[in-house]
Amino acid sequence: MIPGSNAPEATSRLPAHWRHRLAGDHAALALRAVLIALIGLALALSSDAFLSTANVLNVLRQASLIFLLAAGLTLVILCGGFDLSVAANLTLSACLAAGVIKAGFSPWLGVVTALACSTAAGALNGLAVTLLRLPPFLATYAMLWILQGLAFHYMGGQEIFGFPPAFRALGTGFLLGVPVPVYLMAAVLVAATIFMRSTNLGQEIYAVGANPEAARLSGIPVRRRQMLVYMLSGLMSGIAAVVFLARVNAADAGMGEPLLLPVIAAVLIGGTSLFGGVGSVLGTVLGSIILALVINGMNLLDIRAQWQPLVVGVVLLAAVMVDLVGRGRRERIG
Amino acid sequence: MPVSASSRSVRRHARPLPAILPIGLLLVAGALLAVHGFASARNIANLGLQASILLMLSMPMTLIIMSEGLDLSAGAVLSLCSVVMAEVLASGHGLAGALAASIAVGLCFGLGNGALVSLLALPPFVVTLGTLGIAEGASLVLTEGNAVSGLGTDIACLYALDFAGVPFPVLVALATWLFTYLLLHYTRFGTYVFAIGGNRDALVLAGAPAWAYHIAIYAFGGLVSGVAALLLTGRMNAAHPTVAIGMEFDAIAAVVLGGTSFERGDGRLLGTVLGVATITVLRNALDLLGVESSLQVVSIGALILLVIVIDSLRRTRRAQAA
Amino acid sequence: MSRDESGPPATPGPLLALRNVSKTFPGVRALDDVSLELYAGEVHMLLGENGAGKSSLIKVLYGAYRADAGTILYEGDPVEIARPADARRLGIAVIFQEFSLVPFLDLAQNIFLGREPRRPLTRLIDHARMHREARAVLDSLGLDYDTRALPVQLGVAQQQMVEIAKALSQRARILVMDEPTAALSERETAALFAVIRQLRASGVAIAYISHRLHEVLELGDRVTVLRDGRRVATLPAGEATPDQLIAMVVGRAVGAIYKRRHFGTPGKVALEVQGLTTATGVRGVDLVVREGEIVGLSGLVGAGRTEVARAVFGADPVVAGEIRIFGTIAEGGPERIAARGVALIPENRKLEGLALKRSVQDNLLVASLWKLFPRGWYRAVAANRHARSLIDRLRVTPPAPRRLARVLSGGNQQKVVIGKWLAAGCRLFLFDEPTRGIDIGAKSEIFALIEELVERGAAVLLISSELAEIVHVCDRAYVMRAGTIGGELARAQLSEESILRLAMHEG
Repeated sequence: MIPGSNAPEATSRLPAHWRHRLAGDHAALALRAVLIALIGLALALSSDAFLSTANVLNVLRQASLIFLLAAGLTLVILCGGFDLSVAANLTLSACLAAGVIKAGFSPWLGVVTALACSTAAGALNGLAVTLLRLPPFLATYAMLWILQGLAFHYMGGQEIFGFPPAFRALGTGFLLGVPVPVYLMAAVLVAATIFMRSTNLGQEIYAVGANPEAARLSGIPVRRRQMLVYMLSGLMSGIAAVVFLARVNAADAGMGEPLLLPVIAAVLIGGTSLFGGVGSVLGTVLGSIILALVINGMNLLDIRAQWQPLVVGVVLLAAVMVDLVGRGRRERIG
Repeated sequence: MPVSASSRSVRRHARPLPAILPIGLLLVAGALLAVHGFASARNIANLGLQASILLMLSMPMTLIIMSEGLDLSAGAVLSLCSVVMAEVLASGHGLAGALAASIAVGLCFGLGNGALVSLLALPPFVVTLGTLGIAEGASLVLTEGNAVSGLGTDIACLYALDFAGVPFPVLVALATWLFTYLLLHYTRFGTYVFAIGGNRDALVLAGAPAWAYHIAIYAFGGLVSGVAALLLTGRMNAAHPTVAIGMEFDAIAAVVLGGTSFERGDGRLLGTVLGVATITVLRNALDLLGVESSLQVVSIGALILLVIVIDSLRRTRRAQAA
Repeated sequence: MSRDESGPPATPGPLLALRNVSKTFPGVRALDDVSLELYAGEVHMLLGENGAGKSSLIKVLYGAYRADAGTILYEGDPVEIARPADARRLGIAVIFQEFSLVPFLDLAQNIFLGREPRRPLTRLIDHARMHREARAVLDSLGLDYDTRALPVQLGVAQQQMVEIAKALSQRARILVMDEPTAALSERETAALFAVIRQLRASGVAIAYISHRLHEVLELGDRVTVLRDGRRVATLPAGEATPDQLIAMVVGRAVGAIYKRRHFGTPGKVALEVQGLTTATGVRGVDLVVREGEIVGLSGLVGAGRTEVARAVFGADPVVAGEIRIFGTIAEGGPERIAARGVALIPENRKLEGLALKRSVQDNLLVASLWKLFPRGWYRAVAANRHARSLIDRLRVTPPAPRRLARVLSGGNQQKVVIGKWLAAGCRLFLFDEPTRGIDIGAKSEIFALIEELVERGAAVLLISSELAEIVHVCDRAYVMRAGTIGGELARAQLSEESILRLAMHEG
């Protein structure tokens, strides 16, 4: 042991520590909370309907759906990957679950079907990235179309609707005046935050995302961690599929697609870096609420639905710029 | 000056054919044998028409993927160009004005994509996903979600023209191929596409404005979308706001099937053409067999997987042989 | 020591002159008030250890770095070199150690990248002329490579020759070469030297960086020695003796920076490598490292030292041979090898050693998570305590566990990389250039740490390009040459000369 080394910094330790934390994560999260407050204020001033309890709960319910998908995507991005197939995975899982329930089986079997299907699709993504070594966006882009194609084929242009009330409660029910999906959002938030912050696996996922080569040379089984996050992302798509299905009481092959852009935007606005290793699930919750507010605001202000992809596209590009500001200029010679 | 005959001289050896060639030939043979009506004159003419728009989109997509990029917005931008072209025609302006408007819109999106990717070093797939949303939204807003028709007969007549038996759309597509080929192999721009994908720093050190060429790659994509709108609009003599969304999947698939790699700037223009032919034959044969479009997508996905696995197996075998 | 008393070989004023150039990075003064003159028709050798400032100097010359202070004069007039294009306009061409070839452009296209000849009217590239001129340049170097071949078909030495052809084709007035012979065979080196002499005769100014003293003496007109970012001296090559140059390069020899306190008796065999052959160029390497000893692994850059360490750690596949760690055969990737108590401190700490965007604490604990928290529950308070004790032990400054690794100086970053393996309780350490690019104070601290490790019974394999480090720190050393072990030197035989002799196979 090298002796005598911890003398002078003892006094400066605490303030330095706090200064850094304030300048880092906490300030970023606070900024997003302020943004939510500002959008909320603007909406409250421009529409009387906004501040009604029903509408606020509605926003939260919308946010919860975005969040369930975005939480899985957040883990993948933190690990240095990407998953473009989250929304298509939701579609196929929801359609299969709807088919199982409609065929007269227990709704719980439907739930299990959705989760199994989505996790399997996630595992295939993981295999394509770790075994075939495809770039993640390419592997999951192909998976997007395959899942979407299977969903179209399965549904054959039809819609499946009308499910038992017990199942629908997962999406539309209230507990103590708060929608069930909001509880689900809270539960996933807590679980994912504990997973990322308070387990070795979470720490290793951050390490892999920040620098996969250094992680490998630190003895972390990089491919197994990548496999894990793609499977978790798949699982989250399945959970979101169940909630979505229960809420809209109908399944069709186009149900998930409009969610893809808002979900990616929610993750990026939440401060998770596209380049891996930096960000948090907590940020993604705030990002999801911001996106839900934007969509809700467009409805309240009577903006036609046709504007939605345009607005979300602009928001997505804005979100990528936020990431850019966060990481500083990429070093390039010349 | 010592001119020693070095013993380890390096000769250019022919590069292995992309795996798509035998697979594509097998596919054509299978379609000829097993699919009723595939070999009919009408169907073969139809194949050419079906391939033309895809071929056009795939040409700039090859350059974009060579530069380690991706353009997910190509289909949505093509739809928007078609909508703009149709709106201009429907308002009574001529074909030239409509084409100019369409090209202008395409260029705007291409330049925007390029600027975000090149200047800000943002990941292309996210940037173009965002512009996909913007283009789709703009199409929907312009048309209120409805098809645009009543364009007169100019564009339909142009589409139906043929020159010495070669239909106009096929001619335009072949011209795009020739143009891209010249661009890639006979201009500085083309040389720098290889360099941006393979070793961007080398290009910067050589004193070339790599950032500008990088933008130009995406701008070329926008330009071609603007021209391709002529075929898309002419085919139906109408425009639909979302009709071409998803076509970028076929274009990306054609490039990947053709053996262009996402790293190192290895481009195969001829491979892309083979990829386009394979996808067109596959879709056409499945159409004739009554297989719906959704399963066609799944089969293209499976085909990509097959080619990637074969290619990676061949690479390992070559590495072991070396 | 002479300071620029030697006159220029010819011509009135220098073609290019750097005056009092400085460049500072966080924690490192890369260039400190450096002046340098390049005259037309001279070969000016630049000599110095790794981190002495040679590569920073080159980067200032071609516009990749902007100097913080100082001026650059071209034919006596001040010029600004803000980007590579500026350097090119002034006729400055650089041959890099890292290759600047584009893999899927043919040799002619690579040689003329950025200067493609075009036909007058169509502005299309004139392939015929480009290949003709490329052919002429390659012929002048005695290379009969097909101009339509792709760089991916070339070996390392061949790529290096193409780099040289690329610079020659620019008809540069100032040619900078960064260790151009590192990967070349004797015959290729001879061909290159002939070309360099011819260029000198035609009035080109050549700045040539080399680690090989015999090249300096054979080829150079003048020599400038750099150390710690400063110019030590400039003198005519004819007046320099090898001993004098070595003394100037090494300066305060490591002996002055660090002295081994104590040499113990080695214990059990920790690492035994037999007949190791890899796809990365290692051919039949045998070596043994025992507990309680520091074994050097020396040799020229590219001799295969890093590749041996990576293969032992499971980072690269083994083609043939056997690796035994603490007596049992080693198999599997880094996660299996690290679990057996082996640590790799990689050569490139920013790319391979650290997650720069994570905190010091995260980096320190990344290899020991399952040791500290065997049930998988990561406890932030305990983690912070562990990190602080490591920071104290390593004297990382500032002692702030939540500071991002990016903002630390090179020396402190290296301490963090070492620290992550201390926490994991490793017993066999593979150090790959642990002191590259870090300041002298941190160097001696790192050597103290290494000695402390072996005193506690760890085994250490130390890779270093700085001969003095091997001589002063190691119990014994292996010297590598072209992928094989060129020889083994016992403590008593260790000297810079004996290592160099084995590394270059001279005498």
